[in-house]
Amino acid sequence: HQESKVTVLRMAHTLDSKHVVHQSMEYMAQRLELYSGGQMRLMIYPNGQLGTERELVELLQIGSLAMTKVSASTLEGFVPQMQLFSIPYVFKDRDQFWRVLDSDIGQNLLAQTRPAHLIGLGYYDAGSRSFYSSKGFIQSPADIKGKKIRVLNSPTAVKMINTMGGAATPIAWGELYAALQQGVVDGAENNPPSYYLSHHYEVAPYYSLDEHSFVPDVILASQKVWDSLNPQQQKWLRQAVDDSIVFEKNLWQKASDDAIKAVEAKGVEVIRPDKAPFIAAVKPIHDSFKGTAVGRLLERIKTM
Amino acid sequence: MALSVVVLLALFFVLLLINVPISFCIGIATVATLLINVDFETAVSTVSQRMVGGIDSFALLAIPFFILSGLIMGRGGIARRLIECAMALIGALPGGLALVNVVSCMLFGAISGSAVAATSAIGSFMVPQMESKGYSRDFSAAVTAAAATTGMLIPPSNILIIYAIASGGVSIAALFVAGYLPGILLGLALMLVCAIYAKVKGYPVGDRLQWSQVLPKVGAALPSLLLIVVVIGGIIGGIFTATEAGAVAVIYALVLSMVFYKEVKPSQLPGILLKAVETTAIVMFLIACSSAMSWLLSFEQIPQAISQALVTLSDNPIVILLIINLVLIVVGAFLDMTPAVLIFTPIFLPVAESLGMSPLHFGIMIVLNLSIGLCSPPVGSVLFVGCAVANTTIERLLKPLLPLYIAMFAVLMLVTYVPAISEALPRWMGL
Amino acid sequence: MKLLTQMLDLALKWVLIAAMAAIVLVVSWQVLSRYVLQSPSSNTEEMARFLLIWVGMLGAAYSYRMKAHLGLSLLTDRLGPVQGRRADALVHLCVLLFAGAVMVAGGYHLMSLTLELKQVSAAMGIEMGWVYSVVPLSGLLMMFYACEHLLTRRAG
Ligand code: NA
Ligand code: NA
Repeated sequence: HQESKVTVLRMAHTLDSKHVVHQSMEYMAQRLELYSGGQMRLMIYPNGQLGTERELVELLQIGSLAMTKVSASTLEGFVPQMQLFSIPYVFKDRDQFWRVLDSDIGQNLLAQTRPAHLIGLGYYDAGSRSFYSSKGFIQSPADIKGKKIRVLNSPTAVKMINTMGGAATPIAWGELYAALQQGVVDGAENNPPSYYLSHHYEVAPYYSLDEHSFVPDVILASQKVWDSLNPQQQKWLRQAVDDSIVFEKNLWQKASDDAIKAVEAKGVEVIRPDKAPFIAAVKPIHDSFKGTAVGRLLERIKTM
Repeated sequence: MALSVVVLLALFFVLLLINVPISFCIGIATVATLLINVDFETAVSTVSQRMVGGIDSFALLAIPFFILSGLIMGRGGIARRLIECAMALIGALPGGLALVNVVSCMLFGAISGSAVAATSAIGSFMVPQMESKGYSRDFSAAVTAAAATTGMLIPPSNILIIYAIASGGVSIAALFVAGYLPGILLGLALMLVCAIYAKVKGYPVGDRLQWSQVLPKVGAALPSLLLIVVVIGGIIGGIFTATEAGAVAVIYALVLSMVFYKEVKPSQLPGILLKAVETTAIVMFLIACSSAMSWLLSFEQIPQAISQALVTLSDNPIVILLIINLVLIVVGAFLDMTPAVLIFTPIFLPVAESLGMSPLHFGIMIVLNLSIGLCSPPVGSVLFVGCAVANTTIERLLKPLLPLYIAMFAVLMLVTYVPAISEALPRWMGL
Repeated sequence: MKLLTQMLDLALKWVLIAAMAAIVLVVSWQVLSRYVLQSPSSNTEEMARFLLIWVGMLGAAYSYRMKAHLGLSLLTDRLGPVQGRRADALVHLCVLLFAGAVMVAGGYHLMSLTLELKQVSAAMGIEMGWVYSVVPLSGLLMMFYACEHLLTRRAG
């Protein structure tokens, strides 16, 4: 009956078990087992078998699940300030993005999950999102005009496409391949590994690395479960999470580079358009946040 | 985990036997099992959250739409016109009226998503017709019940949508296209049995009609059949999703039966809507409770355990697929199709996938398998409706059903072991 | 009691009819807005999904009232009148228990948790707690119908 002394934490996510995120969680599980001397175990449930990202956050709040990883855009419904990441062209590049996440801004945003009965433990890199299309390159906002672009179901993302003159079309990720193929939508946007793994390059072979947004993944724990751990266990868990964050960051960059090489090997052309016209086009969105908490964050990030 | 499985199964079957509605059997067994490891408030909140999560899906919206359009078509004179069309075309073949029955069910199935709707719409018209021409009433009812199940595979099909959800996102458009060949194959097999049966029993052959008599009948059915082009063509052509196609089908059926055929009056609409709500809600509540249960199964990692057990039983894919099919036939005898698909897809699909079967192929197989259960005792909604419209009993239906079961099982084996029957068409269309 | 039941039946019936009609209209509008107006509406999808949740949950209470849920009467059909009535009472007690524990208690906790934490929906920004409120509501209706059934059975 040694078994019953082991504290088992259940962690669920919606990505495939081949994904960088899953591999990093498995590393987290290894580290946790190591730090705790086998007293703590992490069970990982991939592929959304326990629910969608929004539902997983609710299960954390209820307390039947210990941990999850969700996109910061999912958290907008729970922590309004997270919409910062959905706003296009907040960050110049990956370095600035991580400087902000590691600064007090990033740490404050994590702490904001607390009132929602969640413990924000850190960020995973989820790269930058860029446009791809089945109907030629998107080199400037003018190419968005009149196109139906699939975006995440968030008001900010919808506003970005509509501001550029396109028609934002919310379609479930699983239905997107068919929708691109059949012309229900003309394009979509995502990071290189997702573009590659979803095979969307087969039906939308024009990829423009305009890097309009950096939306991190957030590692969350259930407050209810967290409070049931003793300080020593909490410390082990934090250490394991921190180790896996470093692990993921390296793995992600490699996966992202590999994905671009892989689609290029399949004959897909990848371009790096001038960002200036895009940045000019979304200025009204930045202006609309003037005077709000998010607006103040935008001002500060510009100086970082 | 072992304790969880025992509690779940024991509670489920005890409740089922005392006639607790099956969705509640599933829900109660789930929450009781969860209570073994989790405190009360967490357990009940989790189950209620999973119930809502299970029906929070845009794809599921297609189901009320196809239920509604099926109801409208049943009352709007559409079924009658399809039967007259089939009669004009093949009524003169051996066992003509039995063949007409099968083909009418297939045509009705091709525009509606529900086998029960087909049984009542076609059966209530065809069974008296066949009886008056000397066919036994029990045989007529048995043919209707068996043939109505072809509509489960021939799109649009509510059960294929439910499978798409349960499997975690197989494309509905691909499933719909995949259903055509197996559905038609099933219809042909049933027709073959009918023709032999009619020959043996010496049932009469219908009158051969002149082309001048045939064409108007086909013409009258054409607007109904055009729905196939609008709905399925729209889905495959990317004009709209399956859900939106459902809404289009409702509008189309409404216009056809109210404006064109003038057989449905506006005052009947609230009644039709309410009937659709009732059927929809039964299905949705089943899905809600089943998704709580399948969440629990994943949480306890039960599917993994079962697939490991199956693999140790035999390492021959042919044998494992046969075992899965036999288990499903027994399951289908007792469970209605929707809960059976919801409960057993998460358990058997991973096993089938590990054998190299595609989720698309597995979906067609499980639906065809459970179609047999739909018209087999003791529990089978199509069988019940067939008995009701023919005013006969289940016991009397069994004998004429037997050769039809054999044909269905033969088609099932063919579909199980020849992937191309399910996969060729969708692959050819690039879905 | 009888009057209350009748009023409740009537109200539930018309709410469900209206909601079902609304679903058809909303999704038809979605198709129309994409093709005719060339501007896909991002709110219709969410609205239709939430309406379906309401129809499914409230409709489940209505279907229970109409005794339309699927069951297995294989064994109970063979029982004598006295045992049959006992089994029937047991069935409605089970429904009462499930509706009370999971739908009312669990659903209420879920609803109040999401309301308190101010979770909003992705597209329309409405509070998810109100979407979830249908769970305890439908549970209360089921409990009411179960009690009504058990009480009138005893009286009759
Ligand atoms: Na069908
Ligand atoms: Na059966």
